[in-house]
Amino acid sequence: MSRLPQLIVYGIISGSIISLGGIGVSLTYSILGFSNFAHGDIMALGAYICFGVFVLFTGLGIGNTPIGPLSFGFSFVLSFVSALALTALATVVIDRILFKRLRKAGSIILMMASIGLALGLRNILQFFWGPQPHYYIEKIQVASVIPGLGIRIKPDQIFIIITTVALVVLVHCFLQYTKMGKAMRASADNIALARVTGINTDRVILWTWVIGGALAATAGILTGIENKFITPELGWQMLLSVFAAVILGGLGNPYGAILGGMIIGLSEEVSTAFISTGYKPAVAFAIMIIMLLVKPTGLLGRRK
Amino acid sequence: MPTLEGSMSLLTVDEITGGYGDMEVLHEVSVELDTGEIVTVIGPNGAGKSTLMKTIFGLLQPTGGEIRFDGKSITGLAPDKIVRLGMAYVPQVENVFPSLTAQENLEMGAFILSHNYSDRIDDIYELFPLLKARRRQRVGKMSGGERQMVAMGRALMLNPKLILLDEPSAALAPNLAAMIFDRIAAINQTGVAILIVEQNAKESLKLSDRGYVLAGGRNRFEDTGKNLLMNKEIGELYLGG
Repeated sequence: MSRLPQLIVYGIISGSIISLGGIGVSLTYSILGFSNFAHGDIMALGAYICFGVFVLFTGLGIGNTPIGPLSFGFSFVLSFVSALALTALATVVIDRILFKRLRKAGSIILMMASIGLALGLRNILQFFWGPQPHYYIEKIQVASVIPGLGIRIKPDQIFIIITTVALVVLVHCFLQYTKMGKAMRASADNIALARVTGINTDRVILWTWVIGGALAATAGILTGIENKFITPELGWQMLLSVFAAVILGGLGNPYGAILGGMIIGLSEEVSTAFISTGYKPAVAFAIMIIMLLVKPTGLLGRRK
Repeated sequence: MPTLEGSMSLLTVDEITGGYGDMEVLHEVSVELDTGEIVTVIGPNGAGKSTLMKTIFGLLQPTGGEIRFDGKSITGLAPDKIVRLGMAYVPQVENVFPSLTAQENLEMGAFILSHNYSDRIDDIYELFPLLKARRRQRVGKMSGGERQMVAMGRALMLNPKLILLDEPSAALAPNLAAMIFDRIAAINQTGVAILIVEQNAKESLKLSDRGYVLAGGRNRFEDTGKNLLMNKEIGELYLGG
């Protein structure tokens, strides 16, 4: 049990990444009306775009001297930010090419299309970069010990948590205080009513992809920072945890996705104190099934 | 029968036929409404009242006939275009955004405006003082009567020439229904024309200039609100005796 504080720290880190992925799944579900099974692979796409831009910048001679205690520098941060914009753009283009023409066909068709997109994206990444891992960070970072608590945490992991908190606050302010954010919440409630009210739902859908895509890319890149390497499977492997988080928090509620992400992340990590690490995905799965049986609308969900 | 070109009606529904897909609900239904009028369409369940509203507002495409609003044909026009012409629609159910506050619901009503609309929100609060006190409350937690006020307030945000109200008093307690009708009269006083469809139509006909009786998707009667209320046959058939 003495490992508990340490496991909670790991749980918060993995919960941060799951939450960021979950917000996008939740927004897509409520506004576009389907479960996007390609969301995990959009995370991987973001992680690879970041890697590609990073290689390009390094080739151009942009320095990557580590910033303070972090294991990466300016070039990587620039690649990170570029990857968010490029992934958001990619999801908007994918929506125009694939999902837009299927919108009238209904949620099952859209979901099936997303499974096709998931396979397509993963194989495109594998085609260009191969199945082997690519390293974001080569050197090993020493964890600092927080005195008194016996917690070991690396500066990179503190970066992951701070980035997540900053983005969640940003998304919250956007949803609560901007006209487009309010229109997104309105469309999530009832897109047909939004349309008859005069809300530009095409613009709302565009913003849904921009936010979902950028947050997915963040989740993918942060996974790369935590693991130090990326593989084409990285998003697919996280998809179960992300969906468990979204269902636990209440499908369609982005705040539920954040809460659910934290609970799933913490449960997965803390469970390793009692059962083998190999069962982590089973823990997420068990929580998801229990929630579906007990309260299918989720912790913060509403009945539609 | 063709209506005269250049007539003064705000809304002309001219022998429209339509429904859901292959299921024809409306058979050559005609309704006319002048600027500033309140008109009620009554009729039994399944008469096609809600279908008529949805067809006028462009949510359903008519297979025949024509709809003109403010001098222009709006037949086949999408709802988001019709909103911009000065018509608003309050559906019977799911007519508010439950996770938004009352004030945010009103703001959404003004989404297409780029200028400041806080004056308009104040006007709505004057009409529904109760909403001002609850403006920061989520509409999902409000009662049926309060939701109806939010829905009507939202529809009024764009200062429409005409509001379509689909069963505004449905599922409301009698005192609340009376309050809603009182507010409808007040809205009409500001010059907004109102088309109401109602199943329990006595209250609605009392404040209507004219009324139509719809049954089986066809026009049955048309008269002033008062005359319809006094008509024995209609009273027995459609107003519950």
